[in-house]
Amino acid sequence: MVERVLKGIAASPGVAFGHAVTAWDPELVTLNYTLEEAEVETQVESLRNSIEKSRRQLRKMQAELESSAAGDSTTLIDAHLLILEDSMFIDRIVEKIRAERINAEWAIQSVSGTIFEAYDRVHDDYLRDRRGDLEDIVRRLLFNLRSYQPPTFRSLRYHSILVGRTILPSTLLELKSPRLVGVVTETGSPLSHTAIIARSMDVPTVMGVADVLPGLISGELIIVDGDEGVVIRAPSEHTLRDYRKRIKRVELSRRRMARAVHAPCVTKDRISILLASNINFKDEVASVVSNECEAIGLYRTEFDFFREGAPLAENKLVADYAHVLSTARSLPVNIRAIDVGMQDGVEGSVVQPGPRGLRFLLQNKALFRRQLRAIYRASPQGHARIVLPFVSTLDELGEAKEVLADVRTRLSKKGVAYDETVPVGVMIETPAAAQTCDLMASEVDFFCLGTNDLIQYSLAIDRSERVSMDLYNPFHPAVLRLLRQVHDLVAPTGKTIVVCGELAADPIAAAVLLGLGFSALSVRVGAYPRVKRMIRSVVLSELRELAAQLLKMRTRVEIEQRVREVLA
Amino acid sequence: MTAREVVIGHRLGLHARASAQLVQLSGKFRSDIRIARSDRGADQAADARSILAILLLAAGYGTRVEVRADGEDEQEAVRAICDYLEGSVGTVGNG
Repeated sequence: MVERVLKGIAASPGVAFGHAVTAWDPELVTLNYTLEEAEVETQVESLRNSIEKSRRQLRKMQAELESSAAGDSTTLIDAHLLILEDSMFIDRIVEKIRAERINAEWAIQSVSGTIFEAYDRVHDDYLRDRRGDLEDIVRRLLFNLRSYQPPTFRSLRYHSILVGRTILPSTLLELKSPRLVGVVTETGSPLSHTAIIARSMDVPTVMGVADVLPGLISGELIIVDGDEGVVIRAPSEHTLRDYRKRIKRVELSRRRMARAVHAPCVTKDRISILLASNINFKDEVASVVSNECEAIGLYRTEFDFFREGAPLAENKLVADYAHVLSTARSLPVNIRAIDVGMQDGVEGSVVQPGPRGLRFLLQNKALFRRQLRAIYRASPQGHARIVLPFVSTLDELGEAKEVLADVRTRLSKKGVAYDETVPVGVMIETPAAAQTCDLMASEVDFFCLGTNDLIQYSLAIDRSERVSMDLYNPFHPAVLRLLRQVHDLVAPTGKTIVVCGELAADPIAAAVLLGLGFSALSVRVGAYPRVKRMIRSVVLSELRELAAQLLKMRTRVEIEQRVREVLA
Repeated sequence: MTAREVVIGHRLGLHARASAQLVQLSGKFRSDIRIARSDRGADQAADARSILAILLLAAGYGTRVEVRADGEDEQEAVRAICDYLEGSVGTVGNG
């Protein structure tokens, strides 16, 4: 096969090689792995069970159709049943399991992949539709297999790249493993929750790769380039060599930066900058501590909160937060209340507008209270701070503070120990909050600036739209002016602002943020070393001058050019 | 071995339904049965019991194919299958 470069959108940086693991649909991720001798016949047995189960399902369907007088459509089911007996399909799968010692899922996908390719070569529209019959059967077999053996990435014996039309955030969480080295999706955007998780897991990801699944054979070696936003199928020797070199270079500079991680966080003109880390899962807190990071600027709690598919029970939440706080030792941890309500689950589909963030919490007070109680109950374990998400009016803020006060009163009445001084802050991530942050200042202890949403809502961008990705640009004059405005409104109030959006993770954008006056940044764990290196290499007074120039510029292109001239 | 050439007589050719019936018919014989398009090599012959292979022939109406059978009932098999492919048996003309 000839090398093919597929273009997508870079969603999580880094480069990885691995074997494709295809997720047929968001609910069905199959894992491919090689077998020990002793496992081979068990796999064949599982396959036979799955075939038998599929056959029973189809016969039942056929019987129902016949009695409902839709008799004609039963011949299509005949075709499906015949596929299940087809030696070209079934025998080859069994042969593959035995000869190549691969698991049934892999063998099914590998054999069907070859057949799909043959079908795609035939120029016959009707026949190409028949591909659907085989796809249907493959899906059924895989589903039925799954009920015999739930997949886990731990079974994988080599590096894998998960490829799917859509990958749900929960799937990534479930499959978290060192064996998962890359993610590729046909839909989605770098702003999606899936992308956020991939970045926090440090897994190179490319999204919005049109038509990557058709023809992709499970197990095939692919390259994911999360820096350039491309996926390479059937890479040539030459390409592989290039990428190996690049991975080596990245590894080297990573090690160099890792050494700089422990150096003081000051600019060349000796100005101290607070560099904190964002985390999305409780388990990430350990690496934050080992980086000698000064704070956890944002703990996005929704992923842990819903990791079991439904909200966690209060005691489990308390255990989570106690773990985070005690592992962080004395470091302040900004625990953000769950920010949900937006349709983050199915990416690429129409975003269903609905209350989110604080509005959602105020409409679902039982959940809100549960989480607040858990945070307070865990608060004696460390230095907790509460952050309210997606605040847009002072009224909401007032209502939220009443809930907080009520939760505290009830805990006191019950004699539960908690830290009464837990500071409360708000996210500035709506244009409304950006305009009124000075008015909110007297009501809160600190601010977190969420650049992802702020940019999105300021520039009127739809998160799920692929076309709009070019628009999502931090160097838009409106964004720079808005950021400056927030800084200028908050500065006289004496309250701190930590910038915790993705913007701060890009060293160049982070330098511009420093120039705009911000002195506290919080970035994902993976980006921490390079932002630290940037901070130690710049002169703050020069950045201030640069920012002043940028604020007068008229277009994004002009701003970007100037920024790269000075900083790149 | 018995072999015979025949022209597909089904209006829509060997598509899903006709293929399914062909595979079922082939299953009634003990011989090894293969069908090849006359415009391609015999090495691309399809196993008449494999619906996927038969579909891949993409043999439309008017395509010339060769049916070969090898086994104890090869003559009956070739006859029955050729009759079927020509569209002279059964009520499956719509493919």
